[in-house]
Amino acid sequence: MKSSKATRARRASDRLRLTIGRALLLAAIVAAWEAGARAGVIDPYFVSRPSRLGHTVAGWFAGGFIYPHIWATVQEAVLGLAVGIAGGVVVGMLFAFFPFLSGLFHPLMVVFNATPRIALAPLFIVWLGIGLASKVAMVVSLVFFIIFFSTYAGLRDVDVNLINHVRVMGGTRRDLMRHVLLPSALTWIFASLRACVGFAVIGAIIGEYLGADRGIGWIVQYGESMFDSNMVISGLLVLMVFVATLDGSLGWLERRFSHWKQKPL
Amino acid sequence: MLSSRPLLITLERVTRTFETPAGEFTAVRDVSFRVSAGRFVSLVGPSGCGKTTLLGMIAGLVPVSEGRIVLGDRPVTGGVPPDIGYLFQRDALLPWKTALQNVALPLAIRGRPGAETRARATEWLRRVGLAGFEAYYPHQLSGGMRKRVSLATTLIYGPPVLLMDEPFSALDVQTRNLMENELLELWAETRNTVLFITHDLEEAIALSDEVIVLTAGPGRVKASYPIPLPRPRNVVEIRFREEFTRLYEQIWKDLRDEVQQSYARATRL
Repeated sequence: MKSSKATRARRASDRLRLTIGRALLLAAIVAAWEAGARAGVIDPYFVSRPSRLGHTVAGWFAGGFIYPHIWATVQEAVLGLAVGIAGGVVVGMLFAFFPFLSGLFHPLMVVFNATPRIALAPLFIVWLGIGLASKVAMVVSLVFFIIFFSTYAGLRDVDVNLINHVRVMGGTRRDLMRHVLLPSALTWIFASLRACVGFAVIGAIIGEYLGADRGIGWIVQYGESMFDSNMVISGLLVLMVFVATLDGSLGWLERRFSHWKQKPL
Repeated sequence: MLSSRPLLITLERVTRTFETPAGEFTAVRDVSFRVSAGRFVSLVGPSGCGKTTLLGMIAGLVPVSEGRIVLGDRPVTGGVPPDIGYLFQRDALLPWKTALQNVALPLAIRGRPGAETRARATEWLRRVGLAGFEAYYPHQLSGGMRKRVSLATTLIYGPPVLLMDEPFSALDVQTRNLMENELLELWAETRNTVLFITHDLEEAIALSDEVIVLTAGPGRVKASYPIPLPRPRNVVEIRFREEFTRLYEQIWKDLRDEVQQSYARATRL
């Protein structure tokens, strides 16, 4: 299934056109914003202006102000992700293999999953303080359910035909686990991993926003309390770049591990 | 070759009933027949006559409600009997494994060393005409190629009994005839006991030593016909022989009533 040279060349030029187009679009938005703010069409008090934002953000990085905050948010998100994923996989496997357990806990899981997590954030802060732990708990409460449901579905929705195929060739329960059930669950888990990263950052930021002494969410919250829209928007910019980088690297990982999948036509 | 001697398949008054919301449903009733060791036998019958259920019971995937199934001298009870091959109607290749990894899986499961496993899987892919496709994933292969990989996956561990459930029904006619000829060639070497399910009478006669006709559900054995056509056969050309036509007419008379009955039942719903 190799594409011909001509097709590849055309695809490359399509990609290039798209990249240039996107860069121009971004430049146009930034230019309009700057010009509008300078001409007084939009009020920079509320939306700042790109040159000032650039100055602020550059200052944060140059002066070293931003690093502890990024580090705090990363720590919360990564720890929460790790705990949430591990917990979700383990509980998902337990429930898939022991239907009684699943039946017993099902209503509880549904109720917890339906509870808006933002409503739990104050509780986490009361219980665990304004430090790392409450943010991690917040992230876990979001990530756990996504991974749990993926693992459970991945293990339960395996094609019976595949199971029979491996059983008939002499596969034991262990072989089924290794060659059929786990790969199936992994594809589901990978599919939801990107959503998890997004939620992990959201969880950390919400936690910081509601009560913390550091983190990107804290910067935004602090800027807001000072009525400093320049600081709020600068914080958001840092956050956007941060999330985009994370998401991009995950997309790359996902492509590496789903190479066996059919690409949509 | 890992291949052990072929086995005799014996079914004694085998019945399978299912619990359904509408009550008890009998898929097959009192089915008895034998497949002698090393023979190629086809089961034909209208759709819904319990053919797949029968194969499932022989493979130990579906429990037997009443009666007895014996492979060689070992009754099939609780679980999959060792060294049985099953070619499913639908693709059963693992989508996350390459063609080579799929074919190698039965040997890997048996704990064979990696180098031997790879060498033999490569050899089997070559034998089914897929040399060079080792690194392809199932979705990158055509339906016929996937069937070939399935066939290699089933034959690599030399199962003395080979169960085939309409394996070629989803293929186009040309591919199908090619695969039938290839199957006969491979079988001429392995000579395992084959039980082949199809609803296509021509296919059954062209391939088999014996054709067993099942009734419309619940399936029972209606009649059994030896097919004394000479081998080696070409499944396309053998259809032009007078003997073939005569056998076809004879068996079709039996099958026709069952097909009509099955059709009438299905359309009345």
